[in-house]
Amino acid sequence: MPFDRLNARSNIFDYIQMYIIPTFYIICYGLINFGSFGIAHNPSCDSVCRLGNALIVHLGCFLYLSMHALNLWRRKKFFIVFENSLQDIDENLRRCQAVSGGDMDGKPKKKRKYLFYGTWIVVILAFTASFCYDVKELVHYYHEYFFITLMVSNFPYSAASVMLGQFIYFVSEISQRFEKLNELFEKINAESDRKHIPLMIFDIETDAKKDMPPNQQLRQRHLTATNEESDELNDDLESFYDTETIPDDGPTSESNLPELFKLHDKILSLSVITNAEYGPQSVPYMAVCFVITIFGIFLLTKVFFVVGGKSRLLDYVIILFMVWSLTTMVVAYLVLRLCCNANSFSKQSAMIVHEIMQKKPAFMLGNDLYYNKMKSFTLQFLHWEGYFQFNGIGLFTLDYTFIFSTVSAATSYLIVLLQFDMSSILKSEGLL
Amino acid sequence: MSQQQTVQTILLHFSELFLLCKVMGIYPQNWKVFQRYHDLKKSNVGVLFVIFVMLAIVVLYNLLIFSFSEEDSTLKASQSTLTFVIGIFLTYIGLIMMITDQLSAIRNQKHLGEIYDRIRKVDERLYRIGCVVNNSVLELRIRIMIALTFVCEITIMIAAYIVLLDHTKWNSLLWIFSCLPTLYNSLDKIWFSTTLYALQQRFAVINRALEDMVQVHERYKAMMAHRKRSGSNNMVKNKNVINDILFDLGHEESLKLNYLQNELRGSGLAGKLGKNRVKPVITVANSMNNFNQFQSIKKQPTKSAINIHYESELSNVSRVEDKLNDFCQLHDEICEIGKKLNELWSYSILVLMAYGFLIFTAQLYFLYCATQDQPIPSLFLSAKNALITATFLLYTAGKCVYIIYLSWRTSLESKHTGICLHKCGVVADDNNLYEIINHLSLKLLNHSVDFTACGFFSLDMETLYGVAGGITSYLIILIQFNLAAQQAKDAASSHGTNDPSQISNGADNSSEDVNDYSTALTTLMTSTASTIITASSSALN
Repeated sequence: MPFDRLNARSNIFDYIQMYIIPTFYIICYGLINFGSFGIAHNPSCDSVCRLGNALIVHLGCFLYLSMHALNLWRRKKFFIVFENSLQDIDENLRRCQAVSGGDMDGKPKKKRKYLFYGTWIVVILAFTASFCYDVKELVHYYHEYFFITLMVSNFPYSAASVMLGQFIYFVSEISQRFEKLNELFEKINAESDRKHIPLMIFDIETDAKKDMPPNQQLRQRHLTATNEESDELNDDLESFYDTETIPDDGPTSESNLPELFKLHDKILSLSVITNAEYGPQSVPYMAVCFVITIFGIFLLTKVFFVVGGKSRLLDYVIILFMVWSLTTMVVAYLVLRLCCNANSFSKQSAMIVHEIMQKKPAFMLGNDLYYNKMKSFTLQFLHWEGYFQFNGIGLFTLDYTFIFSTVSAATSYLIVLLQFDMSSILKSEGLL
Repeated sequence: MSQQQTVQTILLHFSELFLLCKVMGIYPQNWKVFQRYHDLKKSNVGVLFVIFVMLAIVVLYNLLIFSFSEEDSTLKASQSTLTFVIGIFLTYIGLIMMITDQLSAIRNQKHLGEIYDRIRKVDERLYRIGCVVNNSVLELRIRIMIALTFVCEITIMIAAYIVLLDHTKWNSLLWIFSCLPTLYNSLDKIWFSTTLYALQQRFAVINRALEDMVQVHERYKAMMAHRKRSGSNNMVKNKNVINDILFDLGHEESLKLNYLQNELRGSGLAGKLGKNRVKPVITVANSMNNFNQFQSIKKQPTKSAINIHYESELSNVSRVEDKLNDFCQLHDEICEIGKKLNELWSYSILVLMAYGFLIFTAQLYFLYCATQDQPIPSLFLSAKNALITATFLLYTAGKCVYIIYLSWRTSLESKHTGICLHKCGVVADDNNLYEIINHLSLKLLNHSVDFTACGFFSLDMETLYGVAGGITSYLIILIQFNLAAQQAKDAASSHGTNDPSQISNGADNSSEDVNDYSTALTTLMTSTASTIITASSSALN
């Protein structure tokens, strides 16, 4: 399995490992096809079994090789860039949280955590189950050489799933950031809700502005701390005083807004990079998942229900189909779900900003700046929406609509496939 | 006028392609004018020549079809009307494609020159703003595409000729004409795709310029912040500040790091000597000036040294407004050019897509027929050999996918401009600028290019996904019909003999057939998927 290192100068060993295992896999693949280790060469293997086996082996080969090629092609730089920008974003988020001065309660997080671990446990269980089953059956047939067949039948799918698992991990990181961002936006929203008397506060602000000239040093410190808003001295001053003078009212966090907008932008561009790296990989994976599932259902209904239990090898092949269709479907569903979540979170923040705009909170009365800022943000988000969604190189968007389209396509193919009369074949094989 | 010498029309890089097209009779424009002024001018002789070439090819192509039609008549007599009808229908679509290309070339000959003229004007304006477009990539691309086209065409033709045809007959030489329509079409599409790529480059240049502005401004802001700190702090810390700035800048411009370091060390020394405590900062500004020469950073010496005004472009609202307006107008202009380009080629692209879809399906279907030892139409001879079929399919799919991919990328790139524009606004954080940007962004939102084929469908990757699904399902339907016909024929023949043992034999045969069919189906599905994926991933390169 290809491992990724975060350090820029990865030593030669990583690369060697990235090449050794595919070559090992290809050797095994060759042995299966041309040697005597394949299931197809087993005397008890009939035509249906051969078909299923050939399909699963070749599809696995195609899947693994294409995904691995894309993996090799991916620049090492990506991981570093991702990690750096993630840290940057985290730091900024923390700073914003400090300014808004709130600590988020951990209850919903806990629930999410359970959900998170639950899904992982399910996925890992599915993998181990398929792995154990495979090993058991193969040991039965090939004794000590079982790993060769295992390498071909099991390895490509699990490797591909792990590669897609990386994608899942990255997307979940991104969607977490979006969520945090939304919490911050929500906080601003709640604050603007609380303060219904904007005029008063505005007065206080202006008063404070007049009254506190010796606060210069404080301002200086603040500036060096945030280090970014030097352009907007006046504006910064205002918001800063706001946070300083009225602590009882709850710290106002609208000074975060530009920072948050920037963050939103950064996260989106990060997700563009991630998608550019992993989107192509998701295409063969989805295709293989689709084919495996269709043929799994086909074989299950037409063969397994009719002659199940009569030939152990045949059962093995069909169960292999079922297991892998289930695991690949689970992984694909996770990908789709997470991408959809990330998308909806990013949309949500635009909605929250609009809500804030509608409430016309205190800080917006003083100047048009905030209004324009928010408007610009929402407009930018419109552009983003047109420009980017999680997709597999544009072929399909990774969200729930994709599930719908695949299911409808699968139904039509299944109808075609189920019309075949398999009974004569089965009869000729002596199974019925 | 000096700009005109520096900004050359992109047609300069098209000369080889144009010569090729001119000689082969695809484009009617005047060759001499092109050679001298790099301009596409209308020419009546050229029109006549194109029409002549077109007629000649049509005649020869028909001759080819007739000379091969002896086998077809046996095919018609033998059984499958389905195969025959498909063959007849598809034989002519290549020819139709070529005729469409040439007719639209004749129709467009005036507008084509205008388009390149407009592109040149855009280039000039871009140059004035300070963005240089690298056109030499276009030439490279054209050469690669021409080479690929010829290699594919010639391998397909020669391989088919050597492997599958009867050398002894004189009329087998007519086979050469079977590849001409696709060759003509490919050359025409190279024009389209290269021009499209040029447009995409223009969009990318605008985006990069906007992002550069953002970066410069960020650097400038960091500098301001540092200056504030150094102003409030002691002289002694000056050096640290400089090192910090050096660090910041060095991150972005590692190339010029050495040079900068030297200069800063000198300035640090000067600071230590205590001549003027702001001097180091000025040197930093100077060195910045050195490594972005086109970003004019103004220095306005005012009353005190601390108040020296360094400007990044984004802090000067009125100038930025002009610049952003310029960018927007350029964007509009490029969008308009893109629309015009799409309009000029709309019919030929529509026909090309139809051709790609039908031929892809037909070739796979005939490949299936050939594996079942059924007769296939003579013009699809190449289906008898799997390798030639694979090359042919890759070539056709590559052509269609590349055009779709390119138009998708271009429209994405045009959408990206809005995002870059907003980045400028967020970084500058200025009220007036926000107003300007909001206004411009609305304009951009309404002004997006979407490439369509005659308005029937948009040329983006989702269409490709749909087409792939369509091909698969049509293939399945066709194969099922074929299978049913075969089974009916088998049943009829076994009925004629009236032998029960024969019937069971026939049933066995059909079951074998089913089995074969399902393997063929799986290979087809996987091969379709894999071709599409490989093609798109290669196009991604």
